[in-house]
Amino acid sequence: MKKTEQLTDSMFYIMAALTKPRHGYAIMNLIEETTNRAISVGPASMYTIIKKLLKQELIYLFDESDSRRKTYLLTEKGKEVLEEELIIRKLMIQLAETGLEEGEQ
Amino acid sequence: MRQTKYITSGGLAFSEEKDMEKLRRYSLKGWHVSDFKFMGYTLEKGESSDYIYSIDYRLLKEGEEEEYFDFFSSSGWSHVTSEGNIHLFRALPNTKPIYTDRETTVEKYKNSSDSMKKLAIPFVFITILLWLGAIISSGSLKTILLSVAAILSIFAIPTAMTVIATYNNQWKVEGRRGLVNLVKMILFLLLLVVVIILLFVYGTGNTVSILTSGMIGAIALPTAIWVVMSIYHKVGGRRG
Repeated sequence: MKKTEQLTDSMFYIMAALTKPRHGYAIMNLIEETTNRAISVGPASMYTIIKKLLKQELIYLFDESDSRRKTYLLTEKGKEVLEEELIIRKLMIQLAETGLEEGEQ
Repeated sequence: MRQTKYITSGGLAFSEEKDMEKLRRYSLKGWHVSDFKFMGYTLEKGESSDYIYSIDYRLLKEGEEEEYFDFFSSSGWSHVTSEGNIHLFRALPNTKPIYTDRETTVEKYKNSSDSMKKLAIPFVFITILLWLGAIISSGSLKTILLSVAAILSIFAIPTAMTVIATYNNQWKVEGRRGLVNLVKMILFLLLLVVVIILLFVYGTGNTVSILTSGMIGAIALPTAIWVVMSIYHKVGGRRG
């Protein structure tokens, strides 16, 4: 079994955006732009998840000089968890891709 | 002076969605909510516009407000007012919702009940103990316990119902429909038991009158609150 709890989709998106220091608004924008607005994270969901990731020490407060736009960054632990999660998600993508390819033949 | 008026709330724990719909309908008529008021909202007269409303529950520590409200304003949700841990926002139709996944929506309803549970559960428990005490004791102690229990029940019953409603909200989002229905059934059975006990103890005539007065109370109390608050609002408004 995995040692960490499975990340929810929204947690995964936000962590993926925090490989560089970003504030909440920038995270929301990046997710929407990357997915052509197919995926968006609402402000209350965003705030809830930021607080949760901080508590679990997967991200840390990078810069709080602007109290409206505090920036966050993945911790070492956060990076590890994101990498593990990425492996699992890639496997699932592979399953879907090969399944669809076989279906076409 | 700005024209204002008061409307009652159905109680956020019971009818958050209906309340938000009601606020939207009032906005269409040009009455926009500006504040929470005792068991309701203050509306201000302005231009008619189509606004949608959302509530969030969150205990904000010092230094957290600015960032929290910035998340909302940059997503198109402007902050209307707050009262304790309850925050009301408004946006134009088709703005993305403030909660976009199930996991965090569940947390919303946990937040809404957390602060209340700590006070409510011991309070309801004490009331139940007092009733039990009143049943097994006798003489003047029974009379004292009975009256204290009755007075506490006036507060304990709505409190208990609110706590149950917040759990229901949470379970609904979690998709635990079975649990929601179970609670509804238990409440219905409890009511049935109370009616049967009343029938045995007081006879048919008294039971009917007790139930009727209960039902009248359930309609009259909100009406009375609305009347008193509206008068209070008019008088207060004139002074301001």
